[in-house]
Amino acid sequence: MSKSVSEISFEEALQNLEKVVRALEVGEAPLDQAIDLFQQGISLVKLCSNKLDEAEKKIQVLVQGDDGEPKLKTAVTLEEGTA
Amino acid sequence: MGTPKILTIKEITRYIKITLEQDRQLNNVWLRGEISNFKLHNPSGHMYFTLKDQTACLKAVMFRSRAAHVPFKPEHGMKVIVRGTIGVFERDGQYQIYVEEMLPDGLGAQYLALEQLKVKLAAEGLFSQERKRSLPVLPRTVGVATSITGAAVRDILKVTYRRFPNMQVIIAPCIVQGDQAPSEIVNAINMLNSRPEVDVIIVGRGGGSGEDLAAFNNEAVVRAIAASTVPVISAVGHEVDTTLADLAADLRAPTPSAAAELAVPSKVELAASLSSYRIRLSTAIQKDLASKRKFSELLAASPVLTNPIARLNQMRQFLDQLQQGLHQNVTNTVREKGAILNVLTEKLDALSPLKVLARGYSICQGPTGETISDAATVKVGQDLTVTLSKGKLSCNVKEVITCQNP
Repeated sequence: MSKSVSEISFEEALQNLEKVVRALEVGEAPLDQAIDLFQQGISLVKLCSNKLDEAEKKIQVLVQGDDGEPKLKTAVTLEEGTA
Repeated sequence: MGTPKILTIKEITRYIKITLEQDRQLNNVWLRGEISNFKLHNPSGHMYFTLKDQTACLKAVMFRSRAAHVPFKPEHGMKVIVRGTIGVFERDGQYQIYVEEMLPDGLGAQYLALEQLKVKLAAEGLFSQERKRSLPVLPRTVGVATSITGAAVRDILKVTYRRFPNMQVIIAPCIVQGDQAPSEIVNAINMLNSRPEVDVIIVGRGGGSGEDLAAFNNEAVVRAIAASTVPVISAVGHEVDTTLADLAADLRAPTPSAAAELAVPSKVELAASLSSYRIRLSTAIQKDLASKRKFSELLAASPVLTNPIARLNQMRQFLDQLQQGLHQNVTNTVREKGAILNVLTEKLDALSPLKVLARGYSICQGPTGETISDAATVKVGQDLTVTLSKGKLSCNVKEVITCQNP
């Protein structure tokens, strides 16, 4: 694969996971392949799980900077539920 | 009596022209009227028409450079609002309005203009189903283009964080109604596109009248949505309102809250589905191992492997049978060969030197054991051994008699 494991998107990881689980459930692989599939599956589950947790909640506001370039500012007053 | 000043037509016309054109009130007037006798001149591109109402009419001309900015196609019967300047076209003795700007007047005209725009953009394929992209399962950052005040942004944030407590959001604020709105909305969408971590954009606003939503029917806004490299969810007004922006978006949501539901996955559901995969993996591998073990047990239980002795006995018995057969074979052969042997033995026997000796002949051998058959090879005084049929003699040669010596 040309992408390293960490660059794979959540969606792709999930698709690969589905394939691996199906292959394992069909049960036609020889023993060492079956174990390999199982390990691949567990890695993918871990990867997806990490992606769910790795982001930090953040709300930012994007405005036009003085130089004309977009600039990010952290929103201090804008929280869900407040007016 | 003085003669009245007699003017030329040119002079009077010039006077009228100056009078009209110098009158400030006739400069940059806004008029409302209905188009009739509309003619688009080819190839100049200038528009010539008449504006009329119930009692009067006014000739109008809009030159190509100004006509190009009209966002719709003026038609006969269309009610419009124009801004222009009254002037005089001397050659024809015609006063007319030179139109700078034209807008559709009233709902009918506006609707018509909107329909024209919709047809034009649809023909370019901007609304086609094939263009619409699917949304990412888990966006890294959600981009939101809407007013920073108002219920829409609050609803979006509320739903977002209910579904995914650690989601990242970038808001690009823009006003969503009025003249400034289209350019601000376009700018917001473009700025969000410039952030690589933004994987989905929600653009929209809360409910309002047709007027209020007009910005989302603006051509530039629709084009910006269509050109967005990031998938766009539009959430404009209430469910019943459909704007051109909604048609160009990758997905249309009936409300801003619904847009957030579509953009943001439920973390709980994703985690549950991962759990389910984990269980399926464990179950599948255990099942697989169990069935492979069972198979090898079956093999081990087969008679060949569990009772090799039985097999051996079988083999042994078979071997005995073979041997028996072989023995029989050999015996028969031996008997045959024995008979032949006997005959040969008798023949051999007859030829045996022992039988010859029995008939009276003897064997004469020299000191080294060589058999002597020629007297010429013997010297007088030599020792010889003579073998008889029974017994041997040790002799010494007294005389040699060769064949020449009788």
